[in-house]
Amino acid sequence: MTPAWTILSAFAGALLVLLLPARSAALSRVIALAAAIVGALAAAVGCVAKLAHPDATPWSFDRDWIPSLGARMHLAADGLSLALLLLTGVVAIAGILFSWNIDKRQRAFFSLFLTIIGGVYGVFLSRDAFLLFVCYEVVILPKYLLIAIWGSTRKEYGAMKLTMYSIGASALILVGLAAAYAAAGGTSFDLQHLAAADYSPGFQAWAFPVLFLGFAVLAGVWPFHTWAPTGHVAAPTAASMLLAGVVMKLGAFGALCVAMPIFPEGFAQWRGAIAGLAVMGVLYGAFTALSQKDLKFVIGYSSVSHMGFVLLGLAAATHWGLRGAALQMISHGIIAGLLFGIAGRVVYARTHTRDLAELRGFDLWRSLPGAAVAFTLATAASMGLPGFSGFVAEISVAIGLWESFPLLLIPLILGIVITGAFSLRALQKAFFPVRGETDAKPPKLPPLTWPEITAIVLLLAVSLAIGIYPKPWIVLIDDGLASPLFQSILP
Amino acid sequence: MNYSALFQQLLPEVILVVTALAVLGTSLAIEARGKPAPLSVVSSMTCLGLLLAGVSLILVPAGGDAATPMLALDPLARLFKGIVIALGLLAVLLPPAKDEIRQPGEFHALLLFAITGLSLTVGTNHLLFLFVALELASLSLYLLAGFPRTARASEASLKYFLFGGVSAAFLLFGLSLIYGFSHAATLPEVAAALAADPTSPLALAGLAMILAGLGFKLAAAPFHYWAPDVYQGAPATSVALVAAASKAVGLVVLVRFLLIGFHAAGGSANWGEIASGWSVWLSILAAVSIVLGNVLALAQTSVRRLLAYSAVANSGYLLVGLCANGAAAAGAALFYVVVYGLATLGALAVTASVERDRGDDSVGSFAGLVHRSPLQALALLVFMASLAGIPPLAGFVGKFALFSKALAETATGGGSGLAWLVTLAAVMSAVSLYYYLKVLKQAFVNDAPEDSASVHICPGHGLAIGLPALALVVLGLFPSLLLEPVTSALVVLLG
Repeated sequence: MTPAWTILSAFAGALLVLLLPARSAALSRVIALAAAIVGALAAAVGCVAKLAHPDATPWSFDRDWIPSLGARMHLAADGLSLALLLLTGVVAIAGILFSWNIDKRQRAFFSLFLTIIGGVYGVFLSRDAFLLFVCYEVVILPKYLLIAIWGSTRKEYGAMKLTMYSIGASALILVGLAAAYAAAGGTSFDLQHLAAADYSPGFQAWAFPVLFLGFAVLAGVWPFHTWAPTGHVAAPTAASMLLAGVVMKLGAFGALCVAMPIFPEGFAQWRGAIAGLAVMGVLYGAFTALSQKDLKFVIGYSSVSHMGFVLLGLAAATHWGLRGAALQMISHGIIAGLLFGIAGRVVYARTHTRDLAELRGFDLWRSLPGAAVAFTLATAASMGLPGFSGFVAEISVAIGLWESFPLLLIPLILGIVITGAFSLRALQKAFFPVRGETDAKPPKLPPLTWPEITAIVLLLAVSLAIGIYPKPWIVLIDDGLASPLFQSILP
Repeated sequence: MNYSALFQQLLPEVILVVTALAVLGTSLAIEARGKPAPLSVVSSMTCLGLLLAGVSLILVPAGGDAATPMLALDPLARLFKGIVIALGLLAVLLPPAKDEIRQPGEFHALLLFAITGLSLTVGTNHLLFLFVALELASLSLYLLAGFPRTARASEASLKYFLFGGVSAAFLLFGLSLIYGFSHAATLPEVAAALAADPTSPLALAGLAMILAGLGFKLAAAPFHYWAPDVYQGAPATSVALVAAASKAVGLVVLVRFLLIGFHAAGGSANWGEIASGWSVWLSILAAVSIVLGNVLALAQTSVRRLLAYSAVANSGYLLVGLCANGAAAAGAALFYVVVYGLATLGALAVTASVERDRGDDSVGSFAGLVHRSPLQALALLVFMASLAGIPPLAGFVGKFALFSKALAETATGGGSGLAWLVTLAAVMSAVSLYYYLKVLKQAFVNDAPEDSASVHICPGHGLAIGLPALALVVLGLFPSLLLEPVTSALVVLLG
C-alpha cells in the first residue's frame, strides 16, 4: 500500500459517489467513509514503515507529463509529507462521521468533500511545483460549493469571500512560481531544480514576498485573515473541520516547502516582517476571539491565532522553529477539527443556535454531558496544556523563537495567556453557565450518536497521543526537514 | 502550375464548398415543392461535409511543395485547419432555436462558406490571399449574425458589419503600406526586407493598421464594441463560430504577421527596458483588454454579454503571449485560444438551452439548473471553471503555460521582463472567477423556480455541450496532446 493510495482513494471515491444512482444515495456516506479510511490507512502504513526503516529509500513516482513546460508527475513521500497525510486522513474520517446525518444532496456533498481531500493529499505529496499548484487549486471550487450550498450564517457571502481570497492568493502564487521558473531557465518545475537555481538578490527581494504571501493568505496571515473566520463559520461542519484543520495547512506547507526553499535570500530579508505579522496574528486572533458572541466565531479567530504560531515557527527558521511549525500544523489540524465538529455538529444540530448567550438556556453541562466533556478536553488541548499536542507544538515554536527573535517571546506569552482567557470564557459560557433558581428548565436534548462519539474519540486520541509521546511525530518531521530543500534556510 | 497538387492541397476546402453548393441545391429543390427545407436534412449534410473535410485533411499527406506561393503548407496551417473544422462542426451541431431561421439551406451554406474562409486564412503567408480569405469568412459571418429577422439580430449584424468593414479597410491599407515598403507579397519576404531596414516608418505604420484590423477579429479592446451586441443578438450557432473558430484564426494570422513577418521589429515591453516596437503597443492593448473586459463583465446580468466581455478579457491574455515575441509563449497562446474557444462554445450552448427553456439569458434564468438538468449543469461547471482557470481543466494549463512562458522568454538576464503584465493578467484573471461563480451559484446553489421542468435538448445540442466538456477535461489532464503539436509546429515555422 503506497502513499499514492491516499490520492487514488479520495478521487476514486469522489467519482464513485458522483456516479451513484439516485436511489442508492444513502450509500454515498459509506463509500466516502471507506475511501477516507483507505487513505488514512495508506498514510498510517507509510508512517509506520518510515519509523521502522528510517533509512529505506522513500516511495516516489516520477513520470513525464507536459514536456514543453517541463512539468512532471513527481510525487514523493518523506516523513513530513506522511505525517501531514495522516493528519488529513484522520480529519477526513472524523469529518465524514460528523456529516453522517446530512440529508440534503448527499452524493454531491461527499463527492466534493472527497475532492478536497484528494487535492490536499496531492499537495502534500507533490515534488513538482506545477503539480503542487494544480492540486492546490483543485480545492477552490469544491470549497465554494460546500459552503454556499450546505452552509449557514451568511453562507453565500462567506463562500464568495473565502473563494475570492483563495483565488487572489493563487494569482500571487502563479506569478511567483512563473517568475522562479523563468529565472531558473524555463525548463523545469521540479522543486529541487527551482531551489538549486541561482537567483539574484534583487529578484528574490520581490519574488519571495509575492510567492510567500500567496501561500500565507491561505494560512490566515494577518491582515489577510478575514476570510477565515467568516468562511469557516458559514461552512457546514465537515467543511469547517476540513478548511480550518487541513486546507489552511496547505498554505503553511506551501510557504515552508515552496516559497522558502526557492528564495532563501529573499526569505532572509523578509523574515523579520513575517515574524511581525505572525505575532500580530497571534495577538489579534486571540483578542478578537475574546469578544465573540458566536461559538464558531470564537473557534474561527482562535484558528487565526494558532496559525500565527505556525508562521512564527517558519519565521524563526531554526530547526526547532520549523519542527514546531510542522507540529503546530498537525496539532491545530486535529484540535480545530474537534472544536468545529463539536460546536458545529454536536451542539448546533441539537440547539440550533451557537450564540453564547442563548446556549446558556440549554445548560449543556447537564443536557449534553458527553459534548461538554469533549469540548473541555478540546479546549485544554487548544490552550496548549501539557499532555496535549498543542503544548508540544507551542513549546517547540517558543524554543525556535528564543533562538531567533527572543524579544518576540513577550507578545507570544501574552498571546498564550489571552488564548487561555478566550478559551475558558467560551467554554464556561457555552457549556457551564451559571444558572439561577428562576431559570427555565433546560430542554431535553438527544444524546450523542455513535458516529459523533467515534469521531470525537478518534481526534482526542490523536491529540493526546502526540502530547504524551511526541517522539514518532518528531522523528517523521525531522526526516522531512533533513531534505536538501531546507538546508539553505536552516542556520 | 500543378493542378492536381493544388487540388490535393485544397481538398478540405473543395469539399466544404461542394457541400455548401449541395446544401443550397437540395434546399432549392425541396423549396420548389412549396415547403421549406427541413433543418435536420441540411444540418446533417453540413455535418457530413465537415466530417469529410476533416478526414481528407488527415488522409492527404503532409509536406511537399506548395502548388502556389499563395498557400503555406506548414504544420501550423494543417493543425489549425483541423481545429477550425472541428470548432466549426461543434458550432453547426448547436442548432438554431425553433423558428429562428427561416431559410436553413442558406444559413448552413453560409456557415460552410465562413468555415472555408477561415480554413483558407490559416494556411497562407500571402498578403493578398490572406485578405481575400479573411473577407470570405467575414462577409459570411456578418450575414450569419443577422439571420433571424428580429431587431436585435439586425442591430448585431449591422454593428458587426460596420466595425468589420472599417477594420477590413484598416487591414487592407496596412497590407498595401507593407507591400509598398517591401515590394513583396509574402511574409517571409517582408521579414527579409525588414531585416535590412528594421525601423522603417512605412512598415511600422502598416503593422499598426494591421493590428487594428486583427484586433477587431480578436475582440481586443478598444476594437471590441461589436462584441456584446453580436454575442447577445446573433443566433447561438453564429456566435459559437465567431467566438471560437474566428478568434482562433485571428490569433493564427497575428502570430504569422508578428513572428514571421515582423519578428525583427518587436522591440521590448519589458519593465525598465522598453524599446520601441510592436511589443509595446501590444502590451498596452493586452492590459486595456484585460482590465476593461474583466471589469465590465462584473456588471453584466445577461450571460451572453458576460461571455462577450470575457472574450475581450481573454483576448488580452492571448496578446500577453504574443508580447514575448517568442515561439514558446506564442505556442501557449495558440493552445489557450483553442481551449478558450471550446469553453466559450460550450458555455454558449448551455446558455442557448437555458434561454430556450426560460425565455432569456439572464443570470437568474440559470437558477437551479442542477435540478433541471444535472448533466448540463456539470458541463457548465467545466466551462466556467476552465474559463476561470481552475484545474484540472485545460483553461488552467493554458493560462499557466501562457503566463510562465511569457515570463520565461522575457525575464532573462536578471530583468523582470513582462512580470508587470503577467501580474496584472493573473490578478484580473482571479477577479474573473467572481462573475463566472455568479452564474455557477445560480446553477448549483439556488433553487429552481416553481414553474420549471427538466430541460430537454436534441442530440446535436447535447454533443455541442458534451464534446467540448470532455475535450476540456482530457486536455486538462493530458495537455501534451495539443500543446506539443502546437509548439513543435511553431518551432518548424519559426526555425
